[in-house]
Amino acid sequence: MSAAATTPLLAVRGVRAAYGKIEALKGVDIEINRGEIVALIGANGAGKSTLMMTIFGRPRARAGRIEFDGNDITGVPTHEIARLRIAQSPEGRRIFPRMSVAENLQMGADATECSEAEREAGLDRVFALFPRLKERVAQRGGTLSGGEQQMLAIGRALMSRPRLLMLDEPSLGLAPLIARQIFDAIRTLNRQDGLTVLIVEQNANHALKLAHRGYVMVNGLITLAGTGAELLQRPEIRAAYLEGGRRG
Amino acid sequence: MSATSARPSHAAQPSGSAFILKKALISAAVALVLFSLMIGVRTEAGPQGGLIYWTRFGDLAAMVGTVFGGSIIIELLRQWWGPVDKEHIVPKPVQAAMSFAGRWLAPALLVFAFLVPVIFYDQRYILDLSILVLTYVMLGWGLNVVVGLAGLLDLGYVAFYAVGAYSYALLATNFGLSFWVCLPLAGILAAFWGVLLGFPVLRLRGDYLAIVTLAFGEIIRLVIINWQSLTGGPNGVSGIPRPTLFGIPLDNSDDGLAARLGIDFSPTHRIVFLFYLILAMALLTNWVTIRLRRLPIGRAWEALREDEVACRALGINVTTTKLTAFATGAMFGGFAGAFFATRQGFISPESFTFQESALVLAIVVLGGMGSQLGVALAALTMIGGFELFRGFDQYRMLVFGIAMVLLMIWRPRGLIGHRAPTVFLERSQAISSDLVKEGHG
Repeated sequence: MSAAATTPLLAVRGVRAAYGKIEALKGVDIEINRGEIVALIGANGAGKSTLMMTIFGRPRARAGRIEFDGNDITGVPTHEIARLRIAQSPEGRRIFPRMSVAENLQMGADATECSEAEREAGLDRVFALFPRLKERVAQRGGTLSGGEQQMLAIGRALMSRPRLLMLDEPSLGLAPLIARQIFDAIRTLNRQDGLTVLIVEQNANHALKLAHRGYVMVNGLITLAGTGAELLQRPEIRAAYLEGGRRG
Repeated sequence: MSATSARPSHAAQPSGSAFILKKALISAAVALVLFSLMIGVRTEAGPQGGLIYWTRFGDLAAMVGTVFGGSIIIELLRQWWGPVDKEHIVPKPVQAAMSFAGRWLAPALLVFAFLVPVIFYDQRYILDLSILVLTYVMLGWGLNVVVGLAGLLDLGYVAFYAVGAYSYALLATNFGLSFWVCLPLAGILAAFWGVLLGFPVLRLRGDYLAIVTLAFGEIIRLVIINWQSLTGGPNGVSGIPRPTLFGIPLDNSDDGLAARLGIDFSPTHRIVFLFYLILAMALLTNWVTIRLRRLPIGRAWEALREDEVACRALGINVTTTKLTAFATGAMFGGFAGAFFATRQGFISPESFTFQESALVLAIVVLGGMGSQLGVALAALTMIGGFELFRGFDQYRMLVFGIAMVLLMIWRPRGLIGHRAPTVFLERSQAISSDLVKEGHG
């Protein structure tokens, strides 16, 4: 890896975070380089989503440092982090159900000041990636299917022209075929635009095949790191996240 | 977040006469248990101080019978209407007629509103009533920003109405400032109090927010009652100056409007002026709200109503979004309050009880949260309806309650539950979003 030559896009160093007295992150270190897809896998309650939200400033990190593009963003409020063009697609999609698809997408663009031309370009990009959304542009978000809602959530995040896209469980509750479409779209984004992606997943198999590198999280700590292919070969990973989940 | 959770199926609902009878019998039995002591036995203190009681089984039987019959009627109505959240297939002509009515209702109402003083010039009662209705339309539109758009349940809206009214009353009586100077001041002061309320409730949502805003409304009222030296306490403020037409008084004096125009003075002039004043203020509220909805801040309000977590994830500053919603809504409440003060000439804390908050909130909810036209219609029916049923006297609240329950059964989203989108990318699609059933994503 050429991490020594350039600073990573995102560096998380020794970050701790807690909800009340319960410590969810116990000193986490990860790095994401430009143009990389990084997967973060782990069991329920390992702290994957917390890490993603901590990068986004809520909950605040109690210790450690988070650097984005070389700048310290540890104590920066959430809405200013979004302005640095880190975008997040939260767990459970969380689209705005009573607002139309067009309005949902516009909400993504509202967070960062962008010109009319940039907005148009952003829309074209989202519609090229997810043609289904274009068909349903006037429909209310709540009337979309689960997969379409996930596309909308990713599209909405893309509208802020992110430099780092963070996806929390994009395959949650989706049929395998739809989940594959979503993963394909993420791969396309990364290959075509060089978009840097952090993906949090329970579906370890899919996520590690997609990702350049992966981290495994257990109880608020990173226990394993490596390339996606490496991690997929590790027996402990196979036992814990792959074969175990395939019993049915 | 249960997009996949299935709704209970309505198809399986039983509908036979046995089911209806069974349901009615259960209701009647519950009524019997409830009313047997409340109505069946009447107790009173006797002449010697002892307790005497007598039974009223006739009344009890009548009540239980009413519940039995009412249950059958409601069940029949419900089956005739069908399940409430099912989409009804409306015949084409009816659909066309409704969309025609929908398109022309708002302009027709507006034209009618402008013509009210012309048509009813001789009927003081109707003019007064329409001023009252318009005041509530304005209050409803103001509260609509907070409750309908931003989704922050505010039970203390009357506090801002009171702040506006007292701002004008005290500034005018103590410093002799004119209505037109005080109007913006009243709005600014109310907005300031809106922000003050906003700060402590930033972290609250739903029920908790409602309780705190309720308390806030009461605090303002209690402060007004007890701060005798400033507000006159329960005696209120009297002798509040009447509004002038940009300095020209509307009275019988030599430099009054009537004398200047060389026409005979009539007290109706002032009423008509007040009518157009509140109409203009209400329309301003409406216009500002419609404009704001199309700006990022208005979209952020609506997004906040939909999902606060998603708003944070999109980098919306939730704090400022909530505060601006509170401040904007409060400002319109303050304007309405200043108008109220100048119209009445006298204000006291009695005008600013929780009942007013509840009434305005009911207008917003019944109208359909976020719908400007719905709020106006609801204000018209509620305030007008109150007057209509004045003859029924004690049954008025009963009719009101029944009407409200029925409306909430059959139109749970309010009179006009439709929400018009504000972002258009191209010409609208063949399939309207209204025809598609909504899940909660």
